[in-house]
Amino acid sequence: MAANGRRRGALEQEVLSSLAAAGRPLTVAEVLADLGHGLAYTTVLTALTRLHAKGALRREPSGRAFAYSLADDPAAVGASVTARRMARLLDAGHDRAGVLARFVADLSPQDERLLAELLADGRAQDGELQP
Amino acid sequence: MTLPLAAGVLLGATAPWLGRRLPPATSVRLLTILMLGVALAGGFVLAVAGALMVGQIPVVAAEGQWSARALASGLPVPPAVGTLAAVVVAGLLLAAVRRAALAARDLVRASRACRRLGPAVDGLVVIDDEHPDAYALPGLGGRVVVSTAMLRALPAAERRVLLAHEAAHLAHRHHLWVQAAAVAAAANPLLRRGARTVGTAVERWADEVAAAEVGDRALVARALARAGLARTGSTRSGRSLALAGADSAVADRARALLAGPPPPRRALAGALTALLLVVATAALVTSVDTEVRFEAAESVYAAAH
Repeated sequence: MAANGRRRGALEQEVLSSLAAAGRPLTVAEVLADLGHGLAYTTVLTALTRLHAKGALRREPSGRAFAYSLADDPAAVGASVTARRMARLLDAGHDRAGVLARFVADLSPQDERLLAELLADGRAQDGELQP
Repeated sequence: MTLPLAAGVLLGATAPWLGRRLPPATSVRLLTILMLGVALAGGFVLAVAGALMVGQIPVVAAEGQWSARALASGLPVPPAVGTLAAVVVAGLLLAAVRRAALAARDLVRASRACRRLGPAVDGLVVIDDEHPDAYALPGLGGRVVVSTAMLRALPAAERRVLLAHEAAHLAHRHHLWVQAAAVAAAANPLLRRGARTVGTAVERWADEVAAAEVGDRALVARALARAGLARTGSTRSGRSLALAGADSAVADRARALLAGPPPPRRALAGALTALLLVVATAALVTSVDTEVRFEAAESVYAAAH
């Protein structure tokens, strides 16, 4: 079930994210190229097939293979509205004791500079972040 | 009797330092439990001080069948302090109940939202939105909600970091720790900084889980940087800067990741556990002492009648 020490369902999430980020149908080879090293072709194929079987993906013939994209979910527009309303509602509290755990908060100007430096350093070498 | 209150002052003052020093998971668990203990013990001693005052009111004393005068003799707290304690503890209790009710309401809202988001495949909900955002929503197994803009902003390896981070929030039920800490801080305002520390530490905890999963701390730091910059850029161009002046949490998290794995700090964790035991003992001693005092006042009453 787990590919490369991933937790259960993690690879499926990554595959979905990959297709959503691309915004166009991708073949197994393209998804594999996006997800990068360490994954076997069959592992990605299995994940795509499983997601397609669950109805999360649509596939169309592309040459001799299939190209996959996110299925048009009729509830997606409603979900999007719900998610946005939820985020606003749960953000509204000033005491930060809400249930919503956001990946990154908004940055202060100093943080912005610092993190931009971090990314620039990371490209040159895996450098240290100077305080 | 004042020990639980002194522990509250100490904990409130040192919480941010403790949060930086302890490994995040230890910090979240230990600080939250300690805060709950200190808040309970503090509330308890205030309630006792208040009860000793209320017990001296003639009507109450007659009803309870104890001697008001015997209860008043040799009290550890002056009457004004005792009366104040009664008022304060009532207010704090109300505040804690209110905070707990708000937490319950938010949990209900979150699980209702999860239901409305539908049966997401593998718990992931992708929202078609131009604003980069990603968050975990607890309830019904939980959902990870990510906007397409956020996914486009990150390369695949960093998307994996994001997904691992959000999954860690859900798997370790971080929202419950954060809310428990908030209730403790409502019951004892001395602990407010402690609650903020727990809020920061759950993010660090999720970062550490993600780092362990992808096996690359620098990669996690870069994911934070890129996601933060994408979000801020979009906020500036589009939405209002409602959250401007946010704290430096994201840069601190990146710095902590690059500094290497956090050492376990067993001695410090041990000291905090000892503090919890001391506070619990102090509350117990106060409890026994008060019981003895009331019993003595009751026997004086019984002898007089």
